[in-house]
Amino acid sequence: MKARVLAKTDVLAIVDLLRKQGYEVLAPFCGRGRDTYFDTVTDANRDRIQLHLPNPYYPPKRFVFPHIERLMKAERSNGDLRIEPTYEAPKRAIFGIRSCDVAGIYHLDRFFLGREFSDIYYEKRRRNLLLVNLVCTDPERDIGKECFCMCADTGPAARDHFDLQLMDLGDEFMAVAGTPSGEALLANSAFRKGTEEHVAKRRQILEHLRTHFESTMTSWFSAAVRCVSQGKVTEKTWEEIGQRCLECGGCTYVCPACTCFTVTDRQVSAGEVERVRVWDSCALGGFTRMAGGFNPRRAVHDRRNRRFFRKLSHYFIQRELSMACVGCGRCAAVCHGDIGMPTVVEMIRRATAQAEAR
Amino acid sequence: MAHQLTTCTYCGVGCGLYLETTDNQVIGAYPSVSHPTNQGRICVRGWHVHEIASSPERLKKPLLRKKGELQEVSWDEAFAFVATRLKQLREHYGPDSIAFLNSPRCSNEDAYLLQKFARAVIGTNNVDQGSSVFCNNSIDVLLEMTGVPAASTSVADLGESDVIVVDGVDLARRLPTIGGAVIRAKLRGARLIVIGTRRHRVAESADLFLQIRPGTEVTLYGAMAKVILDRGLANLAFIKTRCRNYEDFLRLVREYDLLQAAEVCGVSAEMIERAAVTYASARAACVLYSTSMEARSRETIRAVVNLVLLTGKLGRPGAGILALNEQNNLQGVCDLGMLPDRLPGYQPVTDSAARARLEALWKAELPAAPGLRAASLLTNGHNRTVKALWMCHYDPASAAGVEEARGLFEDFKLVVSQQLFITDAARYADVVLPTTAYGEEQVSFTSTERRIQLAQKVVEPVSGLMPVWQQLTRVASLLGANWNYASAAEVMDEIGQAVPFYSGASYENLAREYGRQWPCTKDQPLGTRYLFADSNGSKFNFAPVAKPPRVSTAAEYPFQLFFGSSLYYWTQDVLVRHSETLKREYRILWLDYPDGFVEINSEDAKGLGLRDGQKITLRTTAGSAEATARVTSEVRSGTVFVPYFLREVEKKILPGIGDRSQLVPVRVEKVAA
Repeated sequence: MKARVLAKTDVLAIVDLLRKQGYEVLAPFCGRGRDTYFDTVTDANRDRIQLHLPNPYYPPKRFVFPHIERLMKAERSNGDLRIEPTYEAPKRAIFGIRSCDVAGIYHLDRFFLGREFSDIYYEKRRRNLLLVNLVCTDPERDIGKECFCMCADTGPAARDHFDLQLMDLGDEFMAVAGTPSGEALLANSAFRKGTEEHVAKRRQILEHLRTHFESTMTSWFSAAVRCVSQGKVTEKTWEEIGQRCLECGGCTYVCPACTCFTVTDRQVSAGEVERVRVWDSCALGGFTRMAGGFNPRRAVHDRRNRRFFRKLSHYFIQRELSMACVGCGRCAAVCHGDIGMPTVVEMIRRATAQAEAR
Repeated sequence: MAHQLTTCTYCGVGCGLYLETTDNQVIGAYPSVSHPTNQGRICVRGWHVHEIASSPERLKKPLLRKKGELQEVSWDEAFAFVATRLKQLREHYGPDSIAFLNSPRCSNEDAYLLQKFARAVIGTNNVDQGSSVFCNNSIDVLLEMTGVPAASTSVADLGESDVIVVDGVDLARRLPTIGGAVIRAKLRGARLIVIGTRRHRVAESADLFLQIRPGTEVTLYGAMAKVILDRGLANLAFIKTRCRNYEDFLRLVREYDLLQAAEVCGVSAEMIERAAVTYASARAACVLYSTSMEARSRETIRAVVNLVLLTGKLGRPGAGILALNEQNNLQGVCDLGMLPDRLPGYQPVTDSAARARLEALWKAELPAAPGLRAASLLTNGHNRTVKALWMCHYDPASAAGVEEARGLFEDFKLVVSQQLFITDAARYADVVLPTTAYGEEQVSFTSTERRIQLAQKVVEPVSGLMPVWQQLTRVASLLGANWNYASAAEVMDEIGQAVPFYSGASYENLAREYGRQWPCTKDQPLGTRYLFADSNGSKFNFAPVAKPPRVSTAAEYPFQLFFGSSLYYWTQDVLVRHSETLKREYRILWLDYPDGFVEINSEDAKGLGLRDGQKITLRTTAGSAEATARVTSEVRSGTVFVPYFLREVEKKILPGIGDRSQLVPVRVEKVAA
């Protein structure tokens, strides 16, 4: 590892550099109370960028896979139909993206680009996106009580899939490049060569951080993968889970690794129609209902277990060579009925333990 | 890009959410983690709110009917036409020939100025809001019994309750954020009692689910009160110091009988007893009921509030009444006087001192006679005294349960409609004034927990579009009124002068945190999380409720049919219809049952040899009707549920029986294929 360091006061120099290179830089900011979000950096807000803060709730996946996006336009004029795809691929850098979200974007890469068909809309955005990862090191501000990246094996320090990784060592930041684009940034004069002590300090901080994760599911996540993959979770457990689902779709929308969308056409003006794609959710009845009226997942618990099959079943993990859960904990915070991933793993554990005791 | 904290405007919960915008377009929406009401959660409607703002079907120019057709005209022409016609009609037929209806989704500023326009400029009390048929019961009963027509506690305080009672309302479908708060409270150890005929999602989490026969709530609550008294669980100290009318209540409660109630309600005596004891022994218990589409009768609400007073479960964190408003600003439009018999702040229009106070503020003389309710002014047909109708985002289809807009407006000489889209009702208007939408204006709303909150402007409206309050200001000026509001904030400043419990709710104050819960006064600018905390405060009144007579059942009509507006209301909503995902979600039932449906319990269906989707005949003493059966385990065995939009069934069955609130004994027969 070619570690570089830069002074704490110089860290925003990376943002300036990227902006100078023509990137739209998205960085984390504080909203009201504990609310935080990624927003475009401007001259006016540059000094308000926050490095240590609760991970923004609205996941950065929307920069490659927007909540709503236009795919094409169809116009009728003089009896002719003109169809024009609309691509948008701004040159963007996400500054301060957390390790879980880096893993999330990698999962989207595997899904949208990893198999025989590539999604061109995704691809165009992704190719222009640069990721500056920030390791979560502040136990109070960075790590939430729902976080479980330790169990999902995605953090707190990502091992790959970033362009550049930054880690707060106290007075300095350590920087590691993950790609040639990241490597190029290290050429800047703000960076100095890292020493053995820096590397040791990094290891020590990460070791210490292990004790700061509140979520108790650590040892059970992989067991849940096994139970789900082997079909050992009973219908009764899924029903208990389903009865607490209020079908808001929130878990899929905040999930950095959820990929479902729907495509719909709508009239823009007389003679002009646009096709848009919108985030969709397996929690919703209209999502699973077939055109003919048959719904293979009519009961709410059948839809809800779908989410956990998709994320935990070995079949899907093998298909994408990546797991669709990155341990960010957002689904635990967003759920009305408290059936986010940590709780479901716990419910599966309890049901399995009970079954084995019998 | 920009992120702005604002308020979701779908339902009465008033969740805090952020809108993300770029290039004058809303591109995303997500919940605020810190907002005390929703704490990081919103429902499917909130998650898709950004789809509406960008809907291409919005109206952009005013429309005026010329030679029978609605044609685009200039704003000046539209306003001048409206003002001239209003003046003519008022001169010819008097001020009470003009009526104003708004939707319970209108902002506080719009509602306040609309009723001020009616009362101070036109001179009539003909003002009403779209769901008055439902919510007046709760307003009137709460005013009579507690003096405050609103929820006494907060959604967040459900976390402090150790017993929660949900009466009827299907929270998961209608107010999901509150449904979630209830489920999570239960997971943390609170006991959950659900009362109602429908086995809805939240009922699945209940410790005690009393699936009573429809229409037997009064008997149930009366019997619970009796149990509490018999077991010595009444809070006599609270009753003695804070309640009146206890003796009268006591006299009537003695009539109730537990075993008889069990038989009438169709649940075991043991369940009723356990519910009563659980509620009465709670440290802090909260009761939830709906004031809107799933509203209860006056007697039922009285019976509920009697239980609250009897046990003194009021005025502490987690203890109280959550009267739930299903539309986002039902509370606000009522607070600000969109009621034909009450002025802003709920003073009766007949109260001359209250009128005098507003007359001084508004510098106009106010009418003293109560106005007409929406339902009566819309349905009295050719003999109607009302000649002109002003509808502000009012939709008779979803508001009054009126299915067919056609015919409804024919006899009016002037129909003005302020709308975002061409709705069924707007199609029959003489003038359509398009308005700004959510996200294009800064206005305020008051949620079901009395939280006055700002909805922020995040994008610039299409050129020329303006908020309702501004349009009212323009027309009022043409009619000679001296209205000079430069912003919605200035309207709120005046509201603060008119309504004492809004007096501290300046925009500056509202913008500071997450709105303020009223009473928000100059002395108490931070608002009030729960009411009645002051033990030396005003007195409560028991309302004696007589035991309802027993309804006899005839063997040849074994099922009880009841009408309800629950469950499918949102399909009618104009915003839902313009959001791709929501339209799909709320349309499933229409697609599955294109001719509509009546609901019948799965076990009953088995007994009748009936499959889902089959045609059935409903036979009563008065007539019969055919309908499609939707077989579901959600409805109680022995009942047939008819959603309100199935007018055919209603037309054929109701004549000779009564109104829709009545239970109808029916026989269910399979139609031979």
